[in-house]
Amino acid sequence: MPRVAYSFPEEVLEHVFSFIECDRDRGSISLVCKSWYEIERWCRRRVFVGNCYAVSPATVVKRFPKVRSMAIKGKPHFADFNLVPEGWGAYVFPWIKAMAVAYPWLQEIRLKRMVVTDDCLELIAKSFKNFAVLVLTSCEGFTTDGLAAIAANCRNLRELELRESEVEDICGHWLSHFPDSYTSLVSLNISCLGNEVNLSALERLVSRCTNLKTLRLNRAVPLDKLANLLRGAPQLVELGTGTYTAEMRPEVLANLAEAFSGCKQLKSLSGFWDVLPSYLPAVYPVCSNLTSLNLSYATIQSSDLIKLVSQCESLRRLWVLDYIEDAGLEVIAASCKDLRELRVFPSDPFGLEANVALTEQGLVSVSEGCTKLQSVLYFCRQMSNAALNTIARNRPNMTRFRLCIIEPRAPDYLTHQPLDAGFGAIVEHCKDLRRLSLSGHLTDRVFEYIGTYGKKLEMLSVAFAGETDLGLHHVLSGCDNLRKLEIRDCPFGDKALLANAAKLETMRSLWMSSCLVSYGACKLLGLKLPRLNVEVIDERGPPDSRPDSTPVEKLYIYRTVSGPRLDMPCYVWRMEDDSALRIS
Amino acid sequence: MSEIDMAVIKPEMMKPYVWLQTSDDSIQQVEQEIAMFCPLICQEIIQKGLGSSKNCAICLPQQVSPTMLSLILDYCRFHQVPGRSNKERKAYDEKFVRIDTERLCELTSAADSLQLKPLVDLTSRALARIIEGKSPEEIRDIFHLPDDLTEEEKLEPLRNITADPRIRLLNRLYAKKRKELKERERLKNIEVEEELVDERSVDDLLSFINGNSGESKGVKTSKNKKKNRRKKEQQKHSLKEEASELNKKEVNGHDIRHRSSEAERISETSCLHYAEDGTITPKVEFDDGDIDDEIDPALKEKIDREVEDFARRLNSDWPERMQELLSSGQERKTMHFTTDGFLRRHA
Repeated sequence: MPRVAYSFPEEVLEHVFSFIECDRDRGSISLVCKSWYEIERWCRRRVFVGNCYAVSPATVVKRFPKVRSMAIKGKPHFADFNLVPEGWGAYVFPWIKAMAVAYPWLQEIRLKRMVVTDDCLELIAKSFKNFAVLVLTSCEGFTTDGLAAIAANCRNLRELELRESEVEDICGHWLSHFPDSYTSLVSLNISCLGNEVNLSALERLVSRCTNLKTLRLNRAVPLDKLANLLRGAPQLVELGTGTYTAEMRPEVLANLAEAFSGCKQLKSLSGFWDVLPSYLPAVYPVCSNLTSLNLSYATIQSSDLIKLVSQCESLRRLWVLDYIEDAGLEVIAASCKDLRELRVFPSDPFGLEANVALTEQGLVSVSEGCTKLQSVLYFCRQMSNAALNTIARNRPNMTRFRLCIIEPRAPDYLTHQPLDAGFGAIVEHCKDLRRLSLSGHLTDRVFEYIGTYGKKLEMLSVAFAGETDLGLHHVLSGCDNLRKLEIRDCPFGDKALLANAAKLETMRSLWMSSCLVSYGACKLLGLKLPRLNVEVIDERGPPDSRPDSTPVEKLYIYRTVSGPRLDMPCYVWRMEDDSALRIS
Repeated sequence: MSEIDMAVIKPEMMKPYVWLQTSDDSIQQVEQEIAMFCPLICQEIIQKGLGSSKNCAICLPQQVSPTMLSLILDYCRFHQVPGRSNKERKAYDEKFVRIDTERLCELTSAADSLQLKPLVDLTSRALARIIEGKSPEEIRDIFHLPDDLTEEEKLEPLRNITADPRIRLLNRLYAKKRKELKERERLKNIEVEEELVDERSVDDLLSFINGNSGESKGVKTSKNKKKNRRKKEQQKHSLKEEASELNKKEVNGHDIRHRSSEAERISETSCLHYAEDGTITPKVEFDDGDIDDEIDPALKEKIDREVEDFARRLNSDWPERMQELLSSGQERKTMHFTTDGFLRRHA
C-alpha cells in the first residue's frame, strides 16, 4: 500500500550517503528514484571505471561534477602475458584532459594497464592543486621526466607508486625535483625503475618526510645504503629493499640488523633481489610483526626460506618462489596460522623438468594448516584430482583460486584422468569463489561444474581446455555473476558465443584468443549487439580478405555506453552495427 | 553548551524545567538540563528567552512529534551523564538505533531539525547500513519512494550517463523486471508453463534458431517486429513443445545438467530471438527498437539473407572444420605466460 514517501532534507540524505562508499551500493542508490539519483551524483567523490572504453570521459565528468578520486583500468588482463600487441590502446590522456577541466580539486588518480605519457604526467602536475595520490600499476609510456614534473609541482603529494610499470629511465635525478620544502610524502614505490636514482636526494627526501610509511626501493639501491635509509625513517610500516647482496662484512650485517630493529612499526617487506642468505638474519628482529612478505624475487633455497618464514607468525600474505618447496610450505602451514593469501611463483618456468621439490602436496599442507587461507596463486608441475578435492574440502572459504600447472593439458599425474573432478570440487565446495584460473587437462565437464556451482564467480581464466562449444555454453549460461572471462587456445567457436550473446552485455568483457570464433560470427555479434564493442585483433591483415569462416586471431568484446572507440591501431577491426560504415 | 554560554544566562533562566510544543501542538514540560543538549532548543532559550512558561513554550520543528521528542530526550538523558565510558555509550547507541526503519527515518529528521549532530550521525550511519547491499527496488520499498526514473534513464542508451558498468547491470535487471510485469499483464489469458527444462544441445538450439519453429526466419528485423509481437504467443507454445521433446537427451555422452528455469531461459540462449522476446531475457533488456528504426529495410533484408546463409554454412561444415583447426592447434607449444621471462607478480 502506498504511503507518503519519507522526505529528508537533501543534506541529511547526503549525510547518509557519505557513509556509503562501495561502488555497487552507490550504483543502487542512484537507481532508486530521480531525487536520489540527483543527490547521489552531486556527492559522489570516488569513481571507478573498470574498462576505460566502457564510458567516455565526457560522460563521467558530466554526471559526477565533484569527484576527488578516479580509478581507471585499461588493457585486458591477458596483456600481462603479452597477448595484447603494442599500440592496442588504453590511453589515459583523454581522461586527464577532461578531468583537468572538470575536476580542479581532484586528489587521486589510480590507473591500471594504461598508457601514460609524460604529457599526461605534466598535465596532472599543473592541473590539480591538491593532487595527492598517483598509483600506476602495470602502466607504460612515460619516462623519469614525467616523474620529475610530478615531483616538482605537486606540493601536496602523499603517494607516488609505480607498481610494475614500464618506465623509461632517463635520469635518476628526477627525485631531486622534490623541493627541499616538500615533506608530505607518505608512500613511495619506485621498485620497477631500472636505473639508479640519486641516492643522496633519496636519503634527504626520506629523512625529511616524517610521515613516510611506505618505501619500496628499486634493485639499484645497494644494500649498504639500506641501513641509513632505515635510520632516517624508523616509522616505516612497509619496506621494499633494493638488491639484498653485498660483500659479506659482519659490521654491515650488524649495522643493518640494528637499523631493522629500530623500525618497530614494520609490517611489510618486499624487494630482496639477489639475496645473499647470510644477510637475512638482519630482518629476523621484525619477522614476528610482519603481516606481508614478498619474496618473489628472492632466489634462495628452501632451508634459508624456512628459517625466515618460520618466524613470521603474524603473516597474512606471502609471495614466494617455488624454492620454498613442499617442505617449506609445511612449515608455513604450521607457523603462519593467520595466512590469508599465498602466491608461489615458478623459478624456472621454461625448464622441461622440475628443478625444485614443489608439488601439489605443498598446497595441500597449507590448505590444511592455514584455516584463513582465501586467496591462492600456485604454479606447479603436477596436480591430482585427489589433491584438489582435499584442498576444496579443507578450505570452503576460498575466494580466489588460481592454479597454473606449467605444462599445458597436464592430466592428473596419478590417474592420468582429466582434472575436471578436482576443479569441480573446488567450485562446489568454495561457494564464495569469485576468481578462478584453470589449467591442466580439462574437458567440457569441468565447465559444466563451473556453470552449475560457480554462482558467485566473477572472473574466470581458461587456457588449453575444453573440447566443444558446450564448455563455453555452460559457463556463459550458468555463471550468474560472471564479469570477466578470458580464454586462450581453447576449441570454442561460434555456437556458444552466439547462443549466449545476450550474456555478454551483462559482463565487463570477454577475451578469446587462438580459439575458433569465426570472423562471420564476430560480424554478426557486432551487428546485433550495438551496446557491445566487438573488436577483432588480427595481425594477418584485414579479416575481409579471408573467408568469413576463418577464425580470428583474437577477439575482445566489452560492453560500453560510449559507442565504438576511435583510437584503434591498424590491426584492430571493430564490428559495426552497419556494415557500410566499417572502418578497417 | 559551553561554560561561557552558561555564565551569560540570566539567573531566572536556570529553572529546572522548560516548556516545549511538539508537532501535534501539545505542550510538555521537560528537564531543562536535558533539553539544552539540543542546540536548537538551547538557542531558543538563550537568544529568544522562550520556554520558561506554558504560554511561551518553544515551538519545536514539525518533524518533532511527542514520540520523537521522548526518544531524543532519552538519548540526551543518557549521554549527558559525564561518568559513562565510551564502551557504555557505544553499546547504548547501538541498541538505540535498533528500531524499525520508519521510526529511524523520523528520528533522523527530528534530530536534524533540532541540530543534534551526534544523533544525526548515529541515525545516518544506521540508515546507511540498512541501505548497503540492497537493490534499488528494495530500497524503494523500505523508504516508500516513487519509481520515477524513466526506462531510458535506467537503460542508458548510447548518449546516456553512467560511470560504472555494474550500474548498467542493475539497470538492466530492473528494466527486465518491469517488462516482465508488463508482459504478464498482457499474457494473462495465455497459460504459461512455469517450469521449463532446457536440455537442448547447442546444435539443437542453433537449428531451432534457423527455422524449425514456424515463423522464425533467422533474424527478426523491425519491419517484422509488429508481426512478431502478435505471433509471440504462438512462439511461446512452440518453444515449450521443443523443450519437452528434448527432455532426456544426451549430448556428447554427458547428461546435460537438469536445470529448471522459466521461459526466459530459453530465449536467453538465443540472441537471435531478442526482437520478439526482448521482454524475457533474464539478464539483459534487448530494446533494439531505436537502432533498427534507422536502418534501411532493403539493407535489412540483405543482412537477413547473409545471416541465414552464414548460419547454414556454419551448421553444415562445422564438424570437419573443427577437426582441422583442433589438430593444427595441438602443435602450438605455447605457455600460459610471457616468453620474455618477465612474469608479473601483480597479474
